[in-house]
Amino acid sequence: MRLSSSLLLLAVAAPAPAGELRVHPAEVALSGPNRTQQLLVVEEDGGRVVADHTAAATFATSDAAVAKLDGARVTAAGNGEATVTATVNGRTAAAKVAAHGMDGPPQWGFTNHVEPVLTRTGCNSGACHGALAGKGGLKLSLRGYDPEADHFALTRQALARRVDLTNPADSLLVKKGARLVPHGGGTRITEDDADFNLLKDWITAGAPGPKDNDATLVRLEVFPKAALLKPKEKIRVIARAVYSDGTREDVTRWAKFGSSEELVAGVTEDGVVTVAGSGEAAITVNFGTRVGTVTVTSPYPNTVHANVFADAPRANFIDDLILKKLELLRLPPSEPCTDAEFVRRAFLDACGVLPPADEAKAFLADPDPKKREKLVDRLLEKPAFVDYWAYRWSDLFLVSSRKLPQPAMWAFYRKVRQSVADNEPWDRFARDVLTANGSNLAVGGGNYFVLHKDVAQLAEATSVTFLGMSIGCAKCHNHPLEKWTQDEYWAFANLFSRVGLKNSEKAGEVLVQSRTDGEALHLRRGTAMPPTPLDGKPLPADSPTDRRAYFVDWLTAPDNPFFAKAIVNRVWRSYMGRGLVEAEDDLRVSNPPTNAELLDALAADFVKNKYDLKRLMRQILTSAAYQRSSKPLAGNAADDRFYSRYLVRRLPAEVLLDAYSDLTGVPTTFNQVKSAAGDSTTPVASYPAGTRAMQLPDSLLQSRFLEAFGRPERVATCSCERTGDASVAQALHLNNGVTLNDKLRDAKSVVTAWVGGKGLTDAEIVDRVFLAALTREPTAAERKNFLDILADAAKDGPQARREAVEDFVWAVLTGREFLFNH
Amino acid sequence: MIRLDAERPATFCDGHTRRDFLHAGALAPLGLTLAGLNRAKADGARDGDVNCIMLFLVGGPSQLDTFDPKPNAPAEVRGPFAAAKTNVVGTQISEVFPKTAKHADKFSIVRSCYHTATAVHDTGHQMMQTGRLFAGGVEHPHVGCALGYLKGGRGELPPHVLLPKPIGRTGGNLPHGHAAGYLGKTHDPFILNADPNAPGFKVPDLLPPDYVTGVRAERRQKLRDAVDGGTAAFEGSGAAKQLDDNFALAYRLMSSAKAREAFALDKETTKTRDRYGRTRFGQSCLMARRLIEAGVRFVTVNMFETVFDEVTWDIHGSRPFTDIQQMSREVVPNFDNAYTALLEDLSERGLLSNTIVVALGEFGRTPKINPAGGRDHHPGVWSILIGGGPIQGGRVVGESDELAWAPKTRPVSPGEVAATLYKGLGLDPHKELPGPQNRPIPMVDYDRKPVAELF
Repeated sequence: MRLSSSLLLLAVAAPAPAGELRVHPAEVALSGPNRTQQLLVVEEDGGRVVADHTAAATFATSDAAVAKLDGARVTAAGNGEATVTATVNGRTAAAKVAAHGMDGPPQWGFTNHVEPVLTRTGCNSGACHGALAGKGGLKLSLRGYDPEADHFALTRQALARRVDLTNPADSLLVKKGARLVPHGGGTRITEDDADFNLLKDWITAGAPGPKDNDATLVRLEVFPKAALLKPKEKIRVIARAVYSDGTREDVTRWAKFGSSEELVAGVTEDGVVTVAGSGEAAITVNFGTRVGTVTVTSPYPNTVHANVFADAPRANFIDDLILKKLELLRLPPSEPCTDAEFVRRAFLDACGVLPPADEAKAFLADPDPKKREKLVDRLLEKPAFVDYWAYRWSDLFLVSSRKLPQPAMWAFYRKVRQSVADNEPWDRFARDVLTANGSNLAVGGGNYFVLHKDVAQLAEATSVTFLGMSIGCAKCHNHPLEKWTQDEYWAFANLFSRVGLKNSEKAGEVLVQSRTDGEALHLRRGTAMPPTPLDGKPLPADSPTDRRAYFVDWLTAPDNPFFAKAIVNRVWRSYMGRGLVEAEDDLRVSNPPTNAELLDALAADFVKNKYDLKRLMRQILTSAAYQRSSKPLAGNAADDRFYSRYLVRRLPAEVLLDAYSDLTGVPTTFNQVKSAAGDSTTPVASYPAGTRAMQLPDSLLQSRFLEAFGRPERVATCSCERTGDASVAQALHLNNGVTLNDKLRDAKSVVTAWVGGKGLTDAEIVDRVFLAALTREPTAAERKNFLDILADAAKDGPQARREAVEDFVWAVLTGREFLFNH
Repeated sequence: MIRLDAERPATFCDGHTRRDFLHAGALAPLGLTLAGLNRAKADGARDGDVNCIMLFLVGGPSQLDTFDPKPNAPAEVRGPFAAAKTNVVGTQISEVFPKTAKHADKFSIVRSCYHTATAVHDTGHQMMQTGRLFAGGVEHPHVGCALGYLKGGRGELPPHVLLPKPIGRTGGNLPHGHAAGYLGKTHDPFILNADPNAPGFKVPDLLPPDYVTGVRAERRQKLRDAVDGGTAAFEGSGAAKQLDDNFALAYRLMSSAKAREAFALDKETTKTRDRYGRTRFGQSCLMARRLIEAGVRFVTVNMFETVFDEVTWDIHGSRPFTDIQQMSREVVPNFDNAYTALLEDLSERGLLSNTIVVALGEFGRTPKINPAGGRDHHPGVWSILIGGGPIQGGRVVGESDELAWAPKTRPVSPGEVAATLYKGLGLDPHKELPGPQNRPIPMVDYDRKPVAELF
């Protein structure tokens, strides 16, 4: 113990200079009395902080009349400029300090100071006064999105007792906050600390309210940007706001910190990060309506020779970028998968079917070194590919008879299916759907508007579907932890306010058309915001331009920052088992990708190649990353997000059910459609015998199996609808339920043929089932084991043999090697 | 990271998403289930946690003809039945519940329940099972599902069991609120899906089909062990581990004598089974008692599956519905038997002190009897019965006006009923759960408080 702590001290006292010593921020701007700035003194290497020396550094100021020092904290003392120098073990680094506005009393604004204090202390949180109904008679806007209303509540309501201008210390605001009088919310600020004094100073100054010319928050600077550290190492994160009038302010003490991966790095509420494990974490910093992140990387404790990465197979840029990340994290990539693993995996991922035995055999026997690429090309042209991706996109677009009458549902499905069959470029498809005009039965994409009739719902669904982002929180208040404000939400929603729907005389037919009038009114302001795409340019309110067309032009412009990434991430997740951003439709600053460079490159490549989905899929399927074995190495077993191996995943509900039908030779019947509430069913005759689950256009076809295994209900646009979870109900159903047991017992099942007159031997059955279900031969031990069991049963006659064969097939088809793609 | 032990698992919209809970591999909901498993408190029902049995009186019982009689109201409001004394001095209920009247000290009556949503069955089902009206596509969790989500199961038994089937078609074409909603399917109740009063009753999927004999079951197990032999690919995969764990749990459920026993009504004496009544509802109540005894935390019993093809509390008078008289002949004795048998039985076994029993419907009925001799939907006011666990018996909370048209004092909303159940179950009713779009949603709205008079 003593030894290790002295080693630790030694390490701190004499660090090997790994890089450059720097002070953050390099330019300090202080704009008034009491304004301070925390400094960071760090060692940087290749743009990443590798050590925090702030605690060990000594500081000196060139002019104490301008910049006073208290440890690593600079306080403005007078107008002017100065230099602060930090010294660590004889090395120095400096920061410039400029102070102004020192002539009057402290100036604290309501929007930029009082609101952040109320937010940081939790006063305006959803559980306290930020609740819709307020708390204890005081209602504040959630996290301060409505400063005017909050100022009114604090200075006018409750007989104006909340602020006492003549005796500020007597104000309820500070007395309740510090619990000098009873307060149901407890102690939120400490008497005489900085925030207590800020509130008091603000009241002393007359409790000024928000003004139209208040400086607005332009951006949030976060220091450092990235860090490369080892477990137990710490680093402080500081945040600085940049306002529209050019002032900068240290807002670290009001910011809210969070970690995307607390198992990798945790962060205290004051912004001190401690590395806890290996991997990568994003530390998010929220202040006002802005979000910043710090990437903290902590390599795995492996020793991996550089050759491992240099010599690893590479097919295209995907591999370069993944291996770069793996090398940084010291994660060795698993071996390439075998041909047998590849053929099963690629069929399941691209087409949702198991490889037919003859195709699998031919592929395994083929000596062509290019056979994997060629197989990928064939898969992308198979009819099952169309079934599979039409189903996936129907999930995304909520194709279902829940809200659409049968003919409309079919029209929508046909549109989606045709688009997949034609490999329609994704931008083209988006435009087709979002600018659909005319009859929803003739122009299937128009049903998108029939499904989302409410303008807010339409805006939110469009955001999730095409931008991979949820903006719903901002409908009622600024997004609590994202940058989207309520104003931006309603400006975005107003793009969708001019869609006209008219029922025709034909049953189920709706005419969709663009209108020349109509506005979406801001929920709080009651007025229309200029129609504006997210982070885009507004369309003048009086412009005659079709708002949908304006939106789609923005959406599909090559420089749109969200559109390509959203779809690339969806496709990537489907093939790689985990999105670069997870969940796949949760793209936001505070949820950064595990490999940002790769997502950028994939999106850029996708745009450059005209939004060609098959090309994107081909690139992924042919990459060495996709073709890695799922068997973990000692060094990468802990990795589930950097693609050092193929991630195993349970087969989707529809794939499983179709596989059971195919392997037993007994198709599944779909002849009942559920009501929208799911509480009754009606017979339906649209699905002839042999229809596959993956060919169903409608999510309401009755099937206990599909429901138990997580078929999406297509109610809400959310990838969370499909669950790959295993549950006890699934296990019970596989064991004891009718789906598989009845198929095996069926007179038409393959088992009947195998044990009949010109049937198969036990050995042939075992080999055939293994090839068809697992795409491999049984090992010698496995074969012997199964043959023994089957032979033993056969002694009791043909019926007993049949039962044993059923049991054998059952065991293979419920085993995890079958249930998983690997 | 998800802190399962955190006081508030989802304080803000970042990170703590429903998806985290769904997809986080080993930490996923199963973690909770397994936590319960590992706790391995064999005699779970007595671990100090409070359980709950919710008897859902589908159809909406008439307040006037059940627990809020108005003997002084005009005849067309008063109805055909007199008010009768109970074993609690000063409390009267309708004369058609003679057995319930003898147990009035074991439950309290809330006579001022009301809701303001559309007067269709479905909205009331949602609100009385979840505490909220569904809006904007958000489906809220049933109280029992939220309990299961937060506490997991005891041993191999699921935390929340629904008997005998979810509420079916009742006309509104809306979800009924029996499921876990935004908490995800993993937290849906275990649904019996069978009639425990039917001859040869068996729990579907719990046991292998008849033709899979003991020999075959054993062989299947052996074969699958061989198939699952050693696939290194699955080591280190959270998803595979979850599957393995669930299969293990399923096997335990299937092979657990305790679980099998819990569903085995034939272990009860004929006398007991008769005491509960040989009806679907009566035998479901008996099974509820067995399940609680075995360690299930929450049992929901739906008295009826629909209001259309059965004689229910939905007494519109005209066909296909029933009238007040037929209700009193068929529905009332069914409830009177089963409910009092359950109270007696739980009480004798010492389980009533840690098991809340709540009997409620989705709304009341119009005070004035309609020309068909029935009463129509009226969410303006109705009565519920609640007792057991920390809930006091023998009290009357709230009152309706002289015509039983609206609450006169102490109105109680569905949210307050849910808050009362949560508090009774030892949970903070305003605990935030991870809702859709990562939004933290308190289990019950902040302004809906438990009914303090019941504790």
